Amino acid sequence: MLSRIADSLFWLNRYMERSDFELRVIRTNYILSFDMSMSDDFSWKDVITLFSHTHDEAVLEHGHTISSSLAYLVSNTKNLNSIKVLFTRARENARGVQDNITKEVWEQVNQLYHIVNDPQLEQKITGSRALEIIDLLDQNSTLFYGVTDSTMPRGQGWNFMNLGKFIERCILTIDTTYAHFKKIEHKLTKAQDILFWRGLLLSLSGYELYLKTYTRGQHNNNVVDHIIFNKDFPRSLIYSLVRIKRYLEKVAEDTKLEESVILQRNLGRICSRVEFADLEMIQRESLPHFLYSLRKDLVEFSNQFTRIYFSYA
Amino acid sequence: MTGRQLFEQYQTHSGIWDEMCQDSNIRGQYSKVFDDISELPVELLLQKDKQAGELFMNQGITFTVYSDEAGIEKIFPFDIIPRILTSAEWDHIQQGIKQRLRALNLFLKDIYSEQQILKDNIIPASLIASCPHYTREVFGIRVPHDLYVHISGIDLIRGQDGTFYILEDNLRTPSGVSYMLENREVTKRIFPGMLTSSRARMINNYPLLLHDILGSLSPQQISNPTVALLTPGVYNSAYFEHTFLARQMGIPMVEGRDLLVDDHKVYMKTTAGLQQVHVIYRRLDDDFLDPLVFRPDSALGVPGLMSAYRKGNIAIVNAVGNGVADDKAVYAYVPEMIKYYLNEEIILPNVPTYGMENLDARQHVFDNIHKMVIKRTNQSGGYGMVMGDKASEIEIEEIKAAIIDTPREFIAQPIIKLSTVPCFIDGKLQPRHVDLRPYALCGPNGINIVPGGLTRVALREGSLVVNSSQGGGSKDTWVVDL
Repeated sequence: MLSRIADSLFWLNRYMERSDFELRVIRTNYILSFDMSMSDDFSWKDVITLFSHTHDEAVLEHGHTISSSLAYLVSNTKNLNSIKVLFTRARENARGVQDNITKEVWEQVNQLYHIVNDPQLEQKITGSRALEIIDLLDQNSTLFYGVTDSTMPRGQGWNFMNLGKFIERCILTIDTTYAHFKKIEHKLTKAQDILFWRGLLLSLSGYELYLKTYTRGQHNNNVVDHIIFNKDFPRSLIYSLVRIKRYLEKVAEDTKLEESVILQRNLGRICSRVEFADLEMIQRESLPHFLYSLRKDLVEFSNQFTRIYFSYA
Repeated sequence: MTGRQLFEQYQTHSGIWDEMCQDSNIRGQYSKVFDDISELPVELLLQKDKQAGELFMNQGITFTVYSDEAGIEKIFPFDIIPRILTSAEWDHIQQGIKQRLRALNLFLKDIYSEQQILKDNIIPASLIASCPHYTREVFGIRVPHDLYVHISGIDLIRGQDGTFYILEDNLRTPSGVSYMLENREVTKRIFPGMLTSSRARMINNYPLLLHDILGSLSPQQISNPTVALLTPGVYNSAYFEHTFLARQMGIPMVEGRDLLVDDHKVYMKTTAGLQQVHVIYRRLDDDFLDPLVFRPDSALGVPGLMSAYRKGNIAIVNAVGNGVADDKAVYAYVPEMIKYYLNEEIILPNVPTYGMENLDARQHVFDNIHKMVIKRTNQSGGYGMVMGDKASEIEIEEIKAAIIDTPREFIAQPIIKLSTVPCFIDGKLQPRHVDLRPYALCGPNGINIVPGGLTRVALREGSLVVNSSQGGGSKDTWVVDL
């Protein structure tokens, strides 16, 4: 497979994963924001910070009202992580590799692109039909996952796509969790009721599973356990890391590059930090430090991976 | 209102050949389509028209128009009423194109080696020497099977009396074949059953034929050569076509930056290291292929590609330097070429063409300029064309001055009123002018032309310019066995 193609497939899926997640966060917060009890600890500014990584007041201004938040997060092209920009970039990547993805996958990405490039998007998203539009985007994003799963051949392209997807997912889970725990200053001992965690768990599509799995104990610790160690939860760190490991093995097997071994070793180290940790250890290290250093290592790994497999320019 | 009333209201232009109507009768090849559409209410036709547009949009068969900072995606207009040829007409066209391609291939071989045709004074040497597309860099390079033109899209038009003329030879990187194929797919969706009831011939084996030919051109005798399609990238207006063909043939699509040349061999950069490429189907103009030989500022090409080509380590399709054979001034000499190389009379005539270097011809053109179309020899796509009957006096004076200044850059042809086909526009059937571009594939085992080709249609009322850049659209084209 051409390096450029692998690169584009990797990024196609990173953008799709990011937008899928962002849409879910927007949807969850949009609905929750109407609950009075949430108003204390809920702010659109937090959502904007999460996806723009900025503390710039001018940007955070957008968080004052629901409609300006939605406009910024969905249709503003100055926001590099707006849904419109993400789908446009995903489509650019898909366009460059059209002969390496199935017609069905291409048509689905193309469809999303046309939805977000509707000239009336901003008007619709800021009006009373906002939820309808978010749902439409969410459904089409889900269709992308379905169509990819049911039509893409399980070759190298598939492996690179999945590496993109799970690396992105892992980073997103870390970021969201970090941001949510920050609201209680990362104090695991400071007890919170389930309402406080609902926003986070719903954004990660893990609310119901959480309720089923953790019937007793203190929520704070349970949520950490769920997000980091629950192997049945598709957005937990351990789940994503195991997938990354699996797809990296396949890529290494296919390409037979010498440098693959170094990559596999580095990833192994990252995985073992989660696999062989427990709640107590994390508490000793402190949760923010654990999440921060994990993220740093993962980003480093991703850069190294890019250098080895995509160096074509 | 039904389709029948639409047909009844259809008004052909007098003195112009209409593909569907002869006087007030429907030609045989259209009878089934006529019957089928007559039954349909106009609302349904409008709905089908809309549906066709959506099918193109969803598949991303679009080109981008840039205005402000946002690009707007547009589709190439598609007209739902097919253009239909009879098998007899098709046989004639097919023979004519095959003959022409045999001669043009021999000409290219000759002009880049012995140049016998110049020595025998059939074509003036000055005409070739002054042709910007004559590529000295490929002189003496032998190509596999002596084939230069593998893929061609020769344009035909039909005059007042129904005669087919060759308008233009496109022997470099003709595009549009994906529209031919997609148009057919869309017709299948919007008019299911109509193709079979009319007994239209199948066209969808084109990518397979092309793939076979590409594989057979490998310069080395290996059982499984690597064939790649070289594209200029996503910003090229024909990018959809490149992906379409690569996908249909199952070959990798590469950009210049994916390739490198080492020791006169071409490789592509893959995730598993370098992999040798044996055949390149390029959709890149000669000028951009190799910055070391042609344009030094080209970032789209591959440095060293021509050295690999010269060594015979890579086959390039179509061959480099073909532009000399489809130059508009050289075009006028194709009948002589056919006589010279094949000793045959031309089957499909040229449109009479006046070279502007000949003073008598120039005077004749100036005297009759309102009946002439002036074209630049080095441009295509309908750019730089002046229609004598439509141009203002100022434009005419300007073009005359330009001709006197650089006569080699112009030719003149009498304006031929292209034949018309009914088009479904604004809920009515209206006659619009069309041309025809059949796609021919030349391989070691002969020439194959998929039945039909692309019919381009000038959608503006009265316009004779069918190019997509100038308001043209296209139609599905059928060859029916009556």
